[in-house]
Amino acid sequence: MPLDTSTYSLALLRIDGRRWNDLRRLHAQIHTQDAADGSSYLEMGHTKVMCVVTGPAEPQAGQQKRGTGGGGQAGGQKDGASIVVNVVVAGFSSVDRKRRGRNDRRIQEMEITIQKALAANLHVHLFPHSTITVSLHVLSQDGSLLAALINATTLALIDAGIPMTDYITACTAGSTSSYAAGDDSADPLLDLNTQEEQELPYLTVATLGDSDKVAVLVCESRVQVSRLEGMLVVGVDGCRQMRRLLDGIVRQKGSKMIKEGAVQRSDMMAVSLED
Amino acid sequence: MADRRRVNGPGGSSLPPVYDDGELDAVSRRQRAPDAIRPLYLKTGVTPSASGSAYLEIEPREGEYGSGMKLACTVHGPRSLPRSAPFSPYMVLSTHVKFAPFATKQRRGYLRDSSEKDLSTHLETALRGALIADRWPKSGVDVVVTIIEGESTRQDAVERRVEEWDVMNVLGGCITVASAAIADAGIDCVDTVSGGVAALVAGKDGDETSIVLDPVALEHDSILAACCVAYLPNRDEITNLWFKGRLPSAASYNHQSLVSRAVQASKGTHGLISASLSEVIGNSQN
Amino acid sequence: MAQQTLLSPAELAYLHSSLSLSPPIRPDGRTSKQFRPLTAETGILPGTNGSARVCLSDGTEAIVGVKAEIEKTVDPLGGEHYQEYVKSASGVGGGDAEADRSAARGEWLEMTVEIPGLRDDDAGTVFLAELLREALLADGEFAKKLWINRRFHWRLYLDILLISPPLSYPLPLLSLTTHLALLATRLPRLKSEGDEDPMFDDDWEAAPFLYPREGATTGPRPSITLLVVAVGDSILFDPSKEELAVADSALAVSLCEVRTQREQGGMEVDSGRELRLVSMRTIDPPSRLTPPGVPSTANLAASGTSDTTQQKQQQRAEEHPQEGVWKAPLGGTRFAVLDSIMQAVLEKGGVADEVLDGLEGVDLA
Repeated sequence: MPLDTSTYSLALLRIDGRRWNDLRRLHAQIHTQDAADGSSYLEMGHTKVMCVVTGPAEPQAGQQKRGTGGGGQAGGQKDGASIVVNVVVAGFSSVDRKRRGRNDRRIQEMEITIQKALAANLHVHLFPHSTITVSLHVLSQDGSLLAALINATTLALIDAGIPMTDYITACTAGSTSSYAAGDDSADPLLDLNTQEEQELPYLTVATLGDSDKVAVLVCESRVQVSRLEGMLVVGVDGCRQMRRLLDGIVRQKGSKMIKEGAVQRSDMMAVSLED
Repeated sequence: MADRRRVNGPGGSSLPPVYDDGELDAVSRRQRAPDAIRPLYLKTGVTPSASGSAYLEIEPREGEYGSGMKLACTVHGPRSLPRSAPFSPYMVLSTHVKFAPFATKQRRGYLRDSSEKDLSTHLETALRGALIADRWPKSGVDVVVTIIEGESTRQDAVERRVEEWDVMNVLGGCITVASAAIADAGIDCVDTVSGGVAALVAGKDGDETSIVLDPVALEHDSILAACCVAYLPNRDEITNLWFKGRLPSAASYNHQSLVSRAVQASKGTHGLISASLSEVIGNSQN
Repeated sequence: MAQQTLLSPAELAYLHSSLSLSPPIRPDGRTSKQFRPLTAETGILPGTNGSARVCLSDGTEAIVGVKAEIEKTVDPLGGEHYQEYVKSASGVGGGDAEADRSAARGEWLEMTVEIPGLRDDDAGTVFLAELLREALLADGEFAKKLWINRRFHWRLYLDILLISPPLSYPLPLLSLTTHLALLATRLPRLKSEGDEDPMFDDDWEAAPFLYPREGATTGPRPSITLLVVAVGDSILFDPSKEELAVADSALAVSLCEVRTQREQGGMEVDSGRELRLVSMRTIDPPSRLTPPGVPSTANLAASGTSDTTQQKQQQRAEEHPQEGVWKAPLGGTRFAVLDSIMQAVLEKGGVADEVLDGLEGVDLA
């Protein structure tokens, strides 16, 4: 179904009733699974992903061959842990059932993107000769898939207690009219859904915490250079919003754990217990 | 994924017309006694390049020509594992079951499909129980079974749904032929394992149920349940059991009786394996 | 296919002997017929026709999603007149829906299993998928539910995801999740009649369940598969990874619950439950690949005897396994053991009843 973008200019409302800079409803949980070292569940609108982190652990035989991690080296690297990312897209995740094999190129590309971003921002040098396995499951997809995967990974890594420089948060940004329209005054958009992604130019950007440091930038659609800067600014701003939301979830979980007595409260913690 | 390495035949199949002349039914009735298995032909040492091999042929039904099941098995090894493989205190067994592309009415592809992989797993379970694997540490053995001709006739293109029961017969044959080939290769076993199949069949109106050995799905109106076992006769042990189907609740048969009949069938097959193997020994002594 | 356990021969021998006691002592303190507790929820994914999520207490977790698509029925002969041919051959007149439904085929159910760290065409994964599929189809009634009319049918895709790493053999978990997902599955209500192109009601609330809910619920329910192992003379249900590592034999038993309703004295309706065994498969126990122990008498370093006597002793050790020295099981399973497993599973008020009662307590969304 083609997306009708003509009505946007009338009411400045998008197809799902959002303004240009609104994020979709975000719901996330951390520590969803007892057996895993770290786990999370994240919903961005109708995009739902789960993440399970195993490790840092001794590398298992045969694992390195399959995963797209470790920079191609077999076994844990001498100077730091290698990161293996596996993405499984469930057959029932999209509207029409489509089965994607393990070797699907698009999935492999996402795996490599996430793995590169993590390798640069985790303190892997603390765990030589070991592997951190990130396994991601896509249960339902409605746009901004890569962004949701990155956000879920961040939460699960925090749950696993793997030291990292800061949150890696991601978000998509687009533009209100297609490339062919050649409209230089088109407004930028934040957090696109599937319908918008199919029609409009968009990019996925991930930043490191509150800074403007970009960790991931993926743009696969054709767009005029003049529009790019606006999109990037909106995307980076969205990442900041996302960081606040994720930080809130982590803090909530933390204070809950202290209340339940799972963790000892110490003076070092900057967690406020009053809510 | 398209197979680009080989020249494949056309994808679809064409069939000669089927005329409903009412005679087909008369031929396809079971003539054997319920506790009789079909005659088999088993020969070992058919592939000189393999360390062990065997060929099994099941006699075609009466009034038909050239439609008995034909299976060939080759055993490669025991040989040392590749350098990259991790240490194993046992022999690593890997089994492959493959239908030849022309074995059944529907052409089979070169790549193994899920039913073939399923059969390989069954075969692996059946053989692993019989092998004394700790006498070959750090080595591997490959057992390859090829089904040269399956049990399918023109008629069963119409009654395609019997295929699910035929798989049991195929597995029984695979176990028997693989066992003979392993013995031919001289790999130590606790006993020669043999396969046997029994089924609960119903009469025309769904009543008169009875248990038959070595069932051929086309010979019966309907099969309610079937069971395939891999059996070690000298130890009286079962290494692989596969049962499926539903038993009528009111019937006097239970699962136990079906399993024990399948064991009977495999005892019959076992006689054949030992006869065939002792014949080879007799020949080599002369 | 279950991950190799890192237990020493001494640990294996200890575990085996404590499990073969009567009553057996299991590492987690369960009785031989006790299941691990689990949490379950259904209807978690609105984008599917039915879905379920189950977490076992050991932390393993699975999600199953069911999706249905309409497909044109293609007859195996590749001709247009197949239905007519079958009709004339079987002598059935037109309009007999029951006879038409018998043309339903098991191929209409497609099943995939995804296990992290394993390839999806791995033989073990395929074996699991075939096992679960066979158990569902074995009652012969399942495929008939997918029949729409003589020209169209539903194609049901069942995707099973194991979310956690495979800690123990995941068969019971996947089976229970599949069972719940199928109970929560709904297909749109058919509006068209006869053999015309199917039209469906847009109202999802009106969509009937694949397995009817309350009221006159008779007929088979989706099957469940239990994993049973035999250690010595003990029979253990729902084995953990460590227990599986010392099992003499393992059997996957699929059961199907058939609900019957008998009217008793007018008003009172007694809904009985009948358990039917629909499929059984032996599973290759991972115990066959465990490292064997060496008795101290055969240990050259300990006894320091010469080569020839040592060889002799080693041979003796091979023939007569010593008490307390672990040796991987050899050979198969005796018929009597299989028989007692079957009886334990089908026992009235036994484990299967307990599991089904537990599953009934799950709130179906």
